[in-house]
Amino acid sequence: MKTLIRVLSVVLVLIFTLSACTSKTVTTGDVTLVVWDQFYREAETQVIDTLNAEFEAAHPGVKIERVVKQLDDLKTTLKLALSEPNGPDVAQVNQGRSDMGAIVEAGLLLPLDDYAEQFKWDARFSASVNKRNSFSEDGKIFGRGNLYGVSATAEVVGVYYNETMFETNGWQIPTTYDEFVGLLDTIKAAGETPIAFGSLDGWNAIHEFSAIQHIFVTGQYLDDFVYAVNNVSFDTPENQAAAAVLSNWATAGYFTDGYSGIGYDDITKLFKAGQGAMTITGSWLAPELLADTDFEFGFFLLPQATADQAQLAIGGVGIPYSIRKNTLHPDLAAEYLDWMVSPRAAQLWAEASYVPAMPLPEDFTLEERSLFADTVLAWNRINQDNGVGHYIDWATPTFYDTIVAQLQKLLAGEIGPDAFTSQVQEDYGAFLADQ
Amino acid sequence: MVFFYGLSKPTMNHRRSWPGESKFLGFVYLLPALVIYLVFILYPIFETFRLSFYDWKGFGSKPTLIYLQNYQEILQKGQFLSALSHNLVFIAFYSLLPILIGLILASLLGRRALPGMAFFRTGLFLPQILSMVVVGVVWRWIFNPAFGPLNMMLKSIGLTWLALPWLGDSTWALPSVGLIGSWVQYGFCMVLFLSGMQRIQPELYEAAELDGANEIQQFFFITLPGLRPELGVALITTVIAALRVFDLVYVTTRGGPGDATLVTSFLVYRSAFQQNRVGYAAAVATILTAIILVVSFLITRYQSKSEV
Repeated sequence: MKTLIRVLSVVLVLIFTLSACTSKTVTTGDVTLVVWDQFYREAETQVIDTLNAEFEAAHPGVKIERVVKQLDDLKTTLKLALSEPNGPDVAQVNQGRSDMGAIVEAGLLLPLDDYAEQFKWDARFSASVNKRNSFSEDGKIFGRGNLYGVSATAEVVGVYYNETMFETNGWQIPTTYDEFVGLLDTIKAAGETPIAFGSLDGWNAIHEFSAIQHIFVTGQYLDDFVYAVNNVSFDTPENQAAAAVLSNWATAGYFTDGYSGIGYDDITKLFKAGQGAMTITGSWLAPELLADTDFEFGFFLLPQATADQAQLAIGGVGIPYSIRKNTLHPDLAAEYLDWMVSPRAAQLWAEASYVPAMPLPEDFTLEERSLFADTVLAWNRINQDNGVGHYIDWATPTFYDTIVAQLQKLLAGEIGPDAFTSQVQEDYGAFLADQ
Repeated sequence: MVFFYGLSKPTMNHRRSWPGESKFLGFVYLLPALVIYLVFILYPIFETFRLSFYDWKGFGSKPTLIYLQNYQEILQKGQFLSALSHNLVFIAFYSLLPILIGLILASLLGRRALPGMAFFRTGLFLPQILSMVVVGVVWRWIFNPAFGPLNMMLKSIGLTWLALPWLGDSTWALPSVGLIGSWVQYGFCMVLFLSGMQRIQPELYEAAELDGANEIQQFFFITLPGLRPELGVALITTVIAALRVFDLVYVTTRGGPGDATLVTSFLVYRSAFQQNRVGYAAAVATILTAIILVVSFLITRYQSKSEV
């Protein structure tokens, strides 16, 4: 019997040690704010660490416990973490229905409207920006209802070009869509790859298609489509025309040779090494293009049909910071959010060549004709023209998987533009019918 | 101890308990392993099975019981069957090809002492011990159409027409990912067969040689039958690997282009983590588990039958 007791006690001790490992140690007196973000790139991390240190210095007794994850990892773990009674106080929650929508529906996020008023966030963000971080209280209606997040960075998708190559060959930045198409031919004739592009990873194929789509459709259509109002369809002549253009570019050899087998990061490397005159992607790439390269790069928006037309381009704000509903320190968390979108934050992001979502500080001077200035001006332009478009994959929870698969088929010539739009519409139509 | 057992020899089978010792003491020693098995294996399997009858986002609100609707949807949508057919193609690459290569290499390396034998054996086994993510990243580079060594080599020997975008080509993506699997698995098969061959009595080969059997005949009539247990083990582990492959697809193609390399486990991941459909994912996982169990059972049964 003694042995039995001894063995049992060992088992019990083991169980207790195991459970002790998972339980959290409570700090006395001081407040610890747990923040989950996905700013893992070195330049981003520096900005966040600086901001965190300054926040701690301004709030004695407050400690920021920062947890950094890559986006995929953050997305898969955050939902359960937010359900925990001691989950993160503040976290970056990806926009769209399958992330923010689902989390709001589960009642895990704190509505920020009162804080927005208190901190006057409306002066910093346009209504179009706030809509992207808004949901109805049941999480079903996107783009209306409560505000659930604020974003620190802005994003605009456009055309990066190799300035050095453009100057050597005497190529001009196109101001109309026809000029752009003509330029593709000229570059191809000169023996260079017009557009560095690789579709292996899938997600950037959406940007490639949708950048063209934004030339053909209206901002109203995109709003309706993404927010699922007014019963619009994906199977439209405009979308078919955009799909036809993409597929023509593929067959005309405007893309990197073997593009279907090359991933996004490898395309970036090739473009930085001078293989490809242009590449179509978002402003987030600018800091990476400035480091370790022999070339000068610039950025312009894919031009509309005529030069005086209002500019529409894929754009939006980065993944927003949200507050967990049951946090013990909602006011402190809101102060932290306010700090992350403060003029100081704008300045630090700009110094790191990231376009901030909030206005740049007045004393900040843009270095003329720099890549960063190009991206900031592009962002300002689409804001002025009320032409901040959308990431169309936010439309339905399955839209990303559907459109990536269909785009890869379209690019491979397995399906035509008509079949492409009708296949994608099947996904979108089923979603609308469910709503 | 020896002294003690010597004394109590007649009662070995029904050894008297120590004074005060419980009859169940033996089970207590099993307890920690049993607890871990229950908590980390049996319970999750049971929960997955249970959840497959529910509609659930994976967090937040309570699951809703919808009985067989998830299974109905799986059978109605072609996606699951197409994913499963890709798994079947992978059996050729993960299982049959590696076993074939393993047999050839083992019979080359096993029968005679080559100089640097240990080096070859280790080198050929190396792919097996690498993390699948590392393997995937390396092969993505090898297959890269712009700067990967495979297409560079093809172009340099004039086979430019063959320099395809392997992982992005609708026809070739599946075999390309499959070949990576073959590369990973053959080392395991080879080592398994090498160790099996050491058990085969050398006298058999000598006798066969005296009777005038050539090396190929010796392989078919001595080596192959002698390796039957190893073949069974190799078949089960590699077939299971082919049916549950996930990491390699995740790193190399993410199921693309189109759905050309979509496999069952990836469908589970996609449904559960990207589309918040945990119940549906659980149903797919349950079917996959059932298929794996049936296939393993059939292989073991076939093997034990043929041993009699």
